[in-house]
Amino acid sequence: MSRYLFVVPPLVGHINPTVSVGAELVRRGHTVAWAGHQGTSAPLLPRDAVVFPALPDAAAASIAAARTEWLGLRGIGVFKFFWESFLIPLGHAMLPGVASAVESFRPDVVVADQQALAGPVAASAAGVPWVTSASTPGELLDPLRDLPKVSSWVSDKLTSFAGFDARFSPALVLVFSSRLLVPGSFPEHYVFIGPALGDRPCETPFPWDWLDSRRRVLVSLGTLNGAAGGRFFSSVVEAVTSLDVQVVLVSPVPVSAPQHVLVVDRVPQLSLMPHLDAVVTHGGHNTVCEALAHGLPLVVAPIRDDQPLIASSVTDCGAGIRLRYQRVRAPEIRDALERVLKDPSYAAAAGRVRDSFAAAGGAPTAADHLEAVVA
Amino acid sequence: MSDVLVQLSRIISEVVGPDFLLGVEITPDTTFSDDLGLESIEFVALADKLREHYDVDLVGFLADMDIDEIMAMSVGTLATHIESSRA
Repeated sequence: MSRYLFVVPPLVGHINPTVSVGAELVRRGHTVAWAGHQGTSAPLLPRDAVVFPALPDAAAASIAAARTEWLGLRGIGVFKFFWESFLIPLGHAMLPGVASAVESFRPDVVVADQQALAGPVAASAAGVPWVTSASTPGELLDPLRDLPKVSSWVSDKLTSFAGFDARFSPALVLVFSSRLLVPGSFPEHYVFIGPALGDRPCETPFPWDWLDSRRRVLVSLGTLNGAAGGRFFSSVVEAVTSLDVQVVLVSPVPVSAPQHVLVVDRVPQLSLMPHLDAVVTHGGHNTVCEALAHGLPLVVAPIRDDQPLIASSVTDCGAGIRLRYQRVRAPEIRDALERVLKDPSYAAAAGRVRDSFAAAGGAPTAADHLEAVVA
Repeated sequence: MSDVLVQLSRIISEVVGPDFLLGVEITPDTTFSDDLGLESIEFVALADKLREHYDVDLVGFLADMDIDEIMAMSVGTLATHIESSRA
């Protein structure tokens, strides 16, 4: 039996996929633990999960403060900020905690999220094999293909922090998507396992009685971007006012809305999916995959980071319509929503992605490959 | 403003949608990244129009730039590049 240490950043979308893989490893008799920010990680993990504190609250707070500034940025400034003020400082802040977690837990394998650069560094220093958990395929889609100077700027940042490219393990890269969504050719050790949605604890309440026989739409900008979503949410409310649907709108800020729009700050998203007909999202990889895993068509208005690439994957496979987040107004949102609800081709394409996820094998396939790293 | 600058302003307004530029005066100093907040899909549309109108390769132009140059790229910088590639 082996020991696996998951190293995760303080980001919900990056922690969630590890839960299912961890649970599968435990079922097979292995021992698992996590290293990350305790306050962010613990609520997402099983109650009895072992979490090594690898990000002090003060560092987590300063990174969260930087994120507020990041929400105000546009264009390539977002990208520069992501590396200079988020990813590299996060790597430095997590390194001591991850190194001591490796020392006391003595893992056979470190499973490092692609945005937890401290994982590969601590593992290499201790001579422990490390694999990559790519919770989003964003980096695989090579966003800097056409910008060689920016690409080498990123490489320099990685080299000065890690000494090597800590984004991609030479042994195993677990990708939580499918080849249907991410076409292209990749090395053999890149394994596409689908989104791995099982085993997530969920205690968020929801007023299930509120749902009636009308068609239902979820609107969410995810856990990070919602705070800046005021204008978009207002446009969505205006767009759906005259539609005969029920809308669940997830917003951390108050939004005034008619009775057929339920505004809540949190939802049990995965439990809600089987009750929905369509999802409006910013294109966060988790939300997109959860919707597609249930065969739901999407309206995607990407804001930043990998979201434009994820939005393109969705439209390329025919499972949704893309809108321009900053510019979009109510009539365009209404039109897109009516189209994905009425034209069966969108749901049919989403159904094909759902099938590709099921065929990818999920957590058991991930566990097979993780076991092979030790063997 | 030069002819190219006038024409470029019109192209940008077509790409972004004219009603989004109300109150935004496009000058040579207007940056694509921060001032216009060009979305990635709009960048693709802009590249198509520049190829069509001027036979200019926007992707190739950007490929020579580092991250700070891309952040600072203004309407004037692009207009100058278009003019010099026609000369």
